[in-house]
Order: sequence, then C-alpha cells, then structure tokens
Amino acid sequence: MADLFHGKLTRRRFLEVAGMGTAAAVAVPGFLEACAQSPSAPATGSPKPATLSLYIAKDTAHPQAQAQLMDMIKAQFAKENPGSSFTYDTYASAAEETTKLETSSAAQEGPDIFEFGSTLVPTAYATGSFEVFTNDMWNHIGGKGIFLPPQLTMSGPSPDKLIAVPVSGNPWAMVHNKAMFQAAGISKVPTTWSDFVDAAKAMTNGTDQWGTAMAPADGFDPWHKIWLFTTQLGGQLIDSTGKKGLLDSPESVEACAFWLDWMAKYKIAARQDAAFKGADEVRAFATGKIGMSVMAGPGGIVSYDNSPVAGQYEYTLGPTVPYGMTSLPAGGKPAQGFVSGQYYTLFRYSKNQELALNLLKVVVNPEIQYQYFKLRAQQPVVLDTFNKYPELKQGNWSPLYDAALKAYPTPFFSSWGPLEVEVGKAINKIASQIGISGSYSMSDLKSALTQVNQELQASLG
Amino acid sequence: MTIKGAALRVAVAAGLSGPRRSSHRSSIRVPYWLLSPSLIPLTLIVFVPMAFALYISLTGLNQNSIGDWTHAPFVGLKHYVDGLDPRGPLAPSFYGSIKASVVFSVATTLFTLPIGVGAALLLNGQLRGRTFLRAVMLLPYIIPTFVNGILWRLVFMTSTGIADQILAALHLGSRDTFWLIGPRSLWALIVADVWASWPFIYLMALAALQTIPADVYDAARIDGATPPRIFRRITLPLIAPTLGLGIALSTINHFNNFALPYVMFGPTPPDEVNVLPLNIYVNSFITFNLGLGAAMSVVALVIMLTPAVIYLRAARIGDTD
Repeated sequence: MADLFHGKLTRRRFLEVAGMGTAAAVAVPGFLEACAQSPSAPATGSPKPATLSLYIAKDTAHPQAQAQLMDMIKAQFAKENPGSSFTYDTYASAAEETTKLETSSAAQEGPDIFEFGSTLVPTAYATGSFEVFTNDMWNHIGGKGIFLPPQLTMSGPSPDKLIAVPVSGNPWAMVHNKAMFQAAGISKVPTTWSDFVDAAKAMTNGTDQWGTAMAPADGFDPWHKIWLFTTQLGGQLIDSTGKKGLLDSPESVEACAFWLDWMAKYKIAARQDAAFKGADEVRAFATGKIGMSVMAGPGGIVSYDNSPVAGQYEYTLGPTVPYGMTSLPAGGKPAQGFVSGQYYTLFRYSKNQELALNLLKVVVNPEIQYQYFKLRAQQPVVLDTFNKYPELKQGNWSPLYDAALKAYPTPFFSSWGPLEVEVGKAINKIASQIGISGSYSMSDLKSALTQVNQELQASLG
Repeated sequence: MTIKGAALRVAVAAGLSGPRRSSHRSSIRVPYWLLSPSLIPLTLIVFVPMAFALYISLTGLNQNSIGDWTHAPFVGLKHYVDGLDPRGPLAPSFYGSIKASVVFSVATTLFTLPIGVGAALLLNGQLRGRTFLRAVMLLPYIIPTFVNGILWRLVFMTSTGIADQILAALHLGSRDTFWLIGPRSLWALIVADVWASWPFIYLMALAALQTIPADVYDAARIDGATPPRIFRRITLPLIAPTLGLGIALSTINHFNNFALPYVMFGPTPPDEVNVLPLNIYVNSFITFNLGLGAAMSVVALVIMLTPAVIYLRAARIGDTD
C-alpha cells in the first residue's frame, strides 16, 4: 500500500487506488445493509418470557422515588407476565438522549423501549426507528381514549401515525408568591402581559427583590418563552410546511424583545439573570427573591414545599394577552403552555415488541399512574386516574390540570430540535449584552435572529 | 534509513540481490509484511473511521436518514461550501468557532508553558519533600475534566462564585462580574484549562531536564556562567526538542478539548467559547446535522495537521537517513 502512495504516480497505480476506493464505497454500504435486521410488526398475543431493556429519563429531583416506582412497575409486570422482567438505563441530559437515539437508529440495535420528552418525539418519528401503533396495539394497552386528549397530539404527526405512548405530563402554568402580592397591594393575578409587568414592577425593589426572573442561559427556557409570546401574537417560529424558519419574523422579533425587556426596559428581572439557567429561577422563587415565575411546571412543587415560600405560593394559568393589548390580535392564540411530558416508544428493531407492549399496558395502568404523582410529584396522563383520585385536581394541581387540558401542541417537525438551539443562541447573545451593559439595540437583536434563522434554514435544506 | 533502503539491506543480507528481478521484488515486500501486524489494526481503528467521516461529510445525513444511513442523500461539497464560503449561511458560526479554538488553544499553551517549565525547574533541583511535591503537582491533571468543569463553573458564577467574591473583596471588580457569558467567558475557559493542563508541560519538561548530565552544568559553572545564562544557553536548548513536542501536543489537546467548554457553558455557549469541537458536537448530536458535523470534523483535522506537520518538519522526525 505504501508503494501506491510513495512511488511515482502512474496511470496504472492511480487505477489501482481508485479501484480499491470504488470497491470499498460499493461494498461497505451493501455489507452494512445486509447486516441490518428486517423488522416485523408486533403481534399482541402471549409473548415468550424475556428481560426487556428500557432507556429512560433520570428523575434527578427524586432518584430514590424513581427507583421505587420502577420496582413497583417491575413487580406488576412480572405478575402479569410470569418469568419476564426488565432492566433500565437512565439519561440525565438531552444530549445523552439524542446521542442514544442516533447510535441506536444507525446501528438498528438498542433498548426495547425508549423514553422521550415531547419535543423530541418528532425527531424520533423522523428516524423511522420506532413502531407506529396500530389500533390493535392501542386497544391492547387500553385504547387511545384513556389518555388526556392533548397528550396524544405529540405522539405522532397524525392520529394514524402515532409512535409514542404518554406516560407523564409536565403542564406549564404561572406560580406567584401570595405574601409578596399582598405586600405590594396586588389583589388580582395578571391575565395580560401588561398587568403582569405592572404587578412585577410593584414587587421590585431593584436590589434583592424582583417581580420575576428569566433564564436566558438555559437550554430550553428561551424557546419556551419565545414560542409562547410568538403564538399569542399570532406568529410561528417555523412555517406550516416545516421548511422555512421564521425566527426573524416580526412576531418572533417582538416576542424576543418583550422577554429581553424584562431585564433591559421594564427592569422587573435582575441583570444577573442573564447567566441564569432554569434551576436558578426555581431557586430564586423558592428563596422569596421573585414574586412570579412564568411557565413553571409541577417539578417546582417539591422544591417550594421545602423552602421559605412553603404555603405562600400558588399556581394559576399564565397571562395570554400580549403586552400593550387588551385582547388577542388576529391569529393570536390564548396559549399559556405547550403539550409537554414524557413518552414511551417501541424500538422498531426490538425482538421483544409484544412483551414491551405488555409493559406499556402496566405503565398506563391507573394505579401505576397515580404512583407517578404520589412518588415523583408528576402529573399522570390517564383520565381514570384523575377520576379516581380527586387530589389530582385540587389545590395547586387544579390549575395544572386545566393547563394540561388547554395546552397547545408544538409543530410536529423533526427540525424542532435545531430550532430550539438557534433560538437559544440568539437570546443568549443579546441577554449577555444586557447583563454586561444593561441594554441592547433592536438592530443587534434583529441581526442575531437573522443569523440564527439562516443557520436553521441551512439545516432545513 | 528509509523503508526502501531497509528493504534493500534485507535483500542483500538474504543473498537475494542477484540478477533475478522477480526474487528481488518479492524480497522488497518483506518489510511491508513485517509492518502488517501494526498496519492492519491502525487501518481499522484510524483510517477506516476517517474514510467514513469523509464519506458522511459528503452526505445529507440527518434525523430523516439516520435509520437507513447507508442511503443518506449525497450532497457533494454542500456542507463545505455552507461553512467555508464567507457568504455561506454557516460561515459566521464556523469561522467564529475556528477563531475561538485557535485563540483558546494558543493562549492556553502560552500560559501553561512558563508555569510547567518553572515547576519542572523547581522540582528538578534538590528540595525537601520533592517526591511528595512532584505527586501533588499532578493533581489538577488527574482530576476528571467533567469535575474540573463543574468546579470552575462554580468558581465563576456571577455574584456567588469565588472569583467575583475575591475581586470584590480586593476592590478589583464588581461582585456582579459575568464570567460565564459575554467576552470574559474566554478568560474563564482559559483559566480553567490552564489549571487542569499545565502539569503536562511540567511532566515533559521534567523528563527532559533529567536527561541533562550534571557535568555539563558543572563545566558551565567552572567557566563562570551565571544561572540565567546557564538556563538560556544550556538548559533551554537541551530541553527544546522535548518542549517542542509538548507544545505541539498541548496545542492539539487544547484545540480538541470538548468536555471542559461543554460542562462550563452547555450547548449554547457564548460566541467567544463556541470552540470547534463544541460546534461539531451540537451540529452532530443536538441538531442531528451529522453530515455538516462530519464536514467540520474534516476541516478541524486539516487545521490540526498544521502544528503537527510543522513540528515533525522542525524536529525532522522520521527522517533518519
């Protein structure tokens, strides 16, 4: 081989090298293709006993409770499927989640069941590595009708192409500090963003107490908020074909500006928030430093109940009318959160699909669903569970239940992942400017959004 | 000695240098067969994956095609054009990352060099507790990068981090100085990496110092040379080849450092620390644009070959004839 490269390059020698390269290029993909398994649709009969493998999200807030819940599921599964069991591996970050998805899809080998967050389901669908549920499969686990209807909107691109079974919900609502409201003389929870800004100003002293907080350095918070404001304004972050990015549209620019103005213009959030991540905002609320937190999930409840604000906080639905308006503009939607939660999917190349389906049936059992609430403070997704356990619709869980029913689905596009990153980049950049100098220019914001929209467009093809 | 030269000598030694040309040719192949035990694994481990990366960089491999990646659409040089053409949509991000990586790797190497060499000089002499100190010096190097990243993230947290507390206490800066966002993030990354990596230069320098015979120094002292002159005219020239290798490897390591910036800044870092490995990772594993990620990796490889080739040419490694 060394002679081929070190010797004098002759026509014969060139043909030898080129021939080897061509042979490899032709043979390797063919070989790899031949190695691939041919998938088959799962039946819903009585499968042979086996040990399933699961890849699930780690509950970093309640790791012991998660282990306890999985043990309960395992016991019930073994009872219904004698001789069978499962093992599970966990991921603690979105990066691990996507890496496993990629490697398993490329190798056509991986766990029998994958858990995904709602916004990654479209990407998982695009890989073609997950089983599309037939009506028989849905009926086997209890039917589509057992779930909170909005949750199924993120299970697939259309009702006949669903790949993901909802297992827990993560509705978004607003949480406020009742004591701070009272001290500031605020008697009514804001329903418009103008009222929100006024209330936040009333609670802000500019040093150690602020009306609200924001987390622009978080991997998710920027797109959560920008999606919310853009949707209320009647805009979209990506067009209805999924082929054109709209991050630099007037609605998107206005949405970004409104959020950034919390720090820069209205001064209702501290400049230090420029480096905040989501956990920092939860901590700020738990320590009584802020009066309101927008798009807060039920995950904060455990933190707040063990903090100085225990008993002083209340969840409500968030504002839905854009700033400076008294009603929604044309095309605007009264969104205050998107459909969010965790989903289980069946890996297409699993050899134990029937058994995996039996496990899904256990996971959506109303009693097991209740344990998601009791042990992990997560919202169940099965209607029977809500009917049987009234505490799921009481106290702070009442607005969260309403929020789940009123949630809007995000567009089911596999390009949503890149979009999240690009929104984060633009917001991060301008928030840094505000953190350092206290202000930003609209031209810088527009330029940043144009740049990230170009990058998004390149990935859309 | 070149491989061809070696082959001829083997042939001569074997008495095969006669007029029969075919025997002569087969004898020339002997050294290549002898190389095969290392060449075959090297090909499988290094060259085949590189060839795959090159192939993937020419495809539009993404979330839509990864399930059947052998049939990913061929897009030719699109990714290279998108990234390298100054008017391309990805050029600002790509060139920004190259700049961030070069500045970060060169600056970090420049800072680690005097620290490492200084520590090596200190611990090469007679010193009480020298063995213990030599072990302690390695501590930053053996701490896992992820732990190091979390540690320095805490140090540089706005208001609550030790960096801001110290600056405020010494009246050198505000308690609200931002280190994890904006332009100062580059300095935060450099400080964290210098702390973790200077022992590498220290180890290389110490190893080189220990090869210098004591009588060379004795002779210099007898001739009246001062310590600075001894360092400049004897120590430095004698450790220079090893240090050169250390600098080249160090620069490459810093350039390829992914874990530290990822842990400190996450997948949407400030522009100043959006180094190439992080950009490649985000494109490949967060946004699923694997073809683009592979193209960026190929360009990174070419960039990284530059210091390696410069060093190899300067040291004339592999040129022993």
